[in-house]
Amino acid sequence: MSERIFLDGAAGLPVRAEVAARINALLNAGIANPNGGHVEARRSRALLDGSRDRIAAHFGARPADLVFTGTASEALALALGSELRDDGLLVTTAGEHRGARALAARHSTRGGSIRLIPLTSEGCWNLEAFDAAADGGVRGATALLSATSGELGAIQPIAAFVEAWRDAGGGAIILDGVQASGTLPLSMRTLGVTHLVVGAAKLEGPVGISALISAPGATVRALVPGGGQERGRRGGTEAVILADAFALAVQLAIEAIPETSTHVRELAKHFDTSLGDPAAYGLVVTGPRHEETRVAGHRSYAASWALGDDLVAALDHEGLAVSTGSACLSGSREPSEALRACGFDEATARGGLRLTFGRNNTPSDALRAGVALRLVATRLRHSAAPSARGPAVIAARSVGTP
Amino acid sequence: MTLADARGSVVSRLPEGWRAAPEPTSRERVLVALSGGVDSSVAAALLVAAGHDVVGVWMRLHSAADRIDGGRKSCCTLDAADDARRVADLLGIPFHIQNLEQEFADAVLEPFVASYLDGETPSPCVGCNTAVKFGALVGKAAAIFKCEAVATGHYARRAVRDDGKAWRLRSAIDMEKDQTYFLHGLNSAAIARARFPLGELTKREVRERARELSLPTAEKPESQEICFVPDGDYRSLLRQRGWQPTPGQIVDDTGTLVGQHAGSAGFTVGQRRGIGLATSAPRYVSSIDPRTNRITIAPRAALERDLIPLEGFATPLGAPAPGTLLKGNARIRHRGALAHGTIEVSASVDLGNAFEAVAGGVRATLRLETPLWAASPGQTVVLYDGETLVAGGRIAREETHRA
Repeated sequence: MSERIFLDGAAGLPVRAEVAARINALLNAGIANPNGGHVEARRSRALLDGSRDRIAAHFGARPADLVFTGTASEALALALGSELRDDGLLVTTAGEHRGARALAARHSTRGGSIRLIPLTSEGCWNLEAFDAAADGGVRGATALLSATSGELGAIQPIAAFVEAWRDAGGGAIILDGVQASGTLPLSMRTLGVTHLVVGAAKLEGPVGISALISAPGATVRALVPGGGQERGRRGGTEAVILADAFALAVQLAIEAIPETSTHVRELAKHFDTSLGDPAAYGLVVTGPRHEETRVAGHRSYAASWALGDDLVAALDHEGLAVSTGSACLSGSREPSEALRACGFDEATARGGLRLTFGRNNTPSDALRAGVALRLVATRLRHSAAPSARGPAVIAARSVGTP
Repeated sequence: MTLADARGSVVSRLPEGWRAAPEPTSRERVLVALSGGVDSSVAAALLVAAGHDVVGVWMRLHSAADRIDGGRKSCCTLDAADDARRVADLLGIPFHIQNLEQEFADAVLEPFVASYLDGETPSPCVGCNTAVKFGALVGKAAAIFKCEAVATGHYARRAVRDDGKAWRLRSAIDMEKDQTYFLHGLNSAAIARARFPLGELTKREVRERARELSLPTAEKPESQEICFVPDGDYRSLLRQRGWQPTPGQIVDDTGTLVGQHAGSAGFTVGQRRGIGLATSAPRYVSSIDPRTNRITIAPRAALERDLIPLEGFATPLGAPAPGTLLKGNARIRHRGALAHGTIEVSASVDLGNAFEAVAGGVRATLRLETPLWAASPGQTVVLYDGETLVAGGRIAREETHRA
């Protein structure tokens, strides 16, 4: 197998070398449990406090309003559990990450109501089509939304939504900023949301640490009780080393946003040139058409003639790591809800494909990726199952039966 | 005569003009269908050891894939997929989950349900092998992974005509495990692309090999049940698919009403248990008529048949010409007894009944020298010439056939 090209940064990036070195150093530094009355514990506590301070500062929040969690899904659940009653109204979209969709589904099965903000054909929130005052309004409702669409690369109109939501008397807004935090500046001071969720894994930090950042005065009620850690908002000994690595990853990623964005936009342009007209290969472009509303370095397509997983597998064999954007571990052929909400038919919504260019990719990667996608699309599109005699005979078996 | 005796004589030879086709030794790119069981794990290991460029694929065929089976029996659950992935990792080969739910529903699930509702006993594994594993999967293997061949953990071998232009299945060394019966739907081209690395091994040797390699699947039990009916109750599947059991009559072989049943699709020819009648001597279901919703029961001897109507009949080279006579050893169930007989392909199709002909495919009649017991309509019949499988089809309903 020739050299691999990794184009799935949206699903998580390998840990940045500086961050890995820092983790390594701390693993060998005898970091103690920070909850103790001795020098070792206080040293550990100082490290944790410092991490909290730095991350909070980067997102325009007070350190006291940041709760470390294991995963972003946990942080979303923590925020939702703090804000939404079982009989409450949850406003969300069909384009959310699976973790958020699972929370919405659970709310629904518990008897709660759900309202979806429609999506435009490009995957953006269609605020014109969403009448906050309709259906009894959104007074006191909770909104669960992600700042960008991981699947379709849409940068959402957060400011316009927040304004309309506040005018309509809406309650808490929980914003999933995990995908967005590496490409857009996000600040609690200007966003106007109640909670913001960020995570280390998409910022070239380690998997296993995320954070819920809340507005001053917002209540966070623990999902896991414990010994008073995180001010009683999350039980369990704090992951001091991961928190420190998270803080470093945030700092490096946010400092690099302008440079990285320019670089990956260039790569995406190279890729566009290399691919040529997607329609010539049976691919429709999904997500925003304009670079201003699309996450930098994000490309997404859909094919009506193949399952997204088949495209991913074929590209994997050509040396490309890509994704459907709505990954499912068990290989289900469920259509993407986001693509359905954009108006694509079921077959096309099963054929989603996402490529995300990252800091470490080169122009040569982009060119080779375009060639590989052309080859694979051509091959899969024109392939048909060979004619073993069975199918015709067996399929005919059901003819004329009750 | 036992099967072991038989192997020493008529069935353990290659017909004239045919030779054994060993598994290729020159390097090729081959996709192996990993089920998460011991057989396909060892098949993959043997391919890797032989130096082939191997891609491991676990097929997601139906929603049972969302289940987690503590029992570790089915090939089609999340646990099975995990085992397949572990085996691939251990062997150092790429692993993918290939979704073939639509293909499986069309070729296996829907016909399975239709067959039961039609008073028959379907052979879902035959449809799966023909249309899914050696049909759709072969196409995916070529298009997605550029593999020229598809391997499975089936116990089977291959034979090729001396001119190299036609292929047949050849029974496995291990006659107890031979699975050519379930593979009979493969045509010559499909057999040419099929790889059966286990054909020359016994089950015991396969397990030993798995243990030697410390494969995580080495001690997994055999999966016996139908993979998409993990609880073993196909009737609950039929109910899920809209079957509403209608009570009907049970009559004996003289036509006398002897009882009631709860729904004819719940029965199969040859069944004794669960009929719900107290009879002085054992009685078996001898026929099921879905149109009258009537079930006939009879003593054991009444289910012997030496004349069995067939439909969907074909050889690996396609449908034989009307009037063709094929001689050999027939089998009407997996691992069932072999009986010598002749299959005659029906002379012509009644044009006035063309629809029926299309639905049933080519018709034929099997004449046996010694009768076989409980020929269930819908079940598979295969005919061997020596070790090679020369033709196969489904048992047709007797009254349909006469009509």
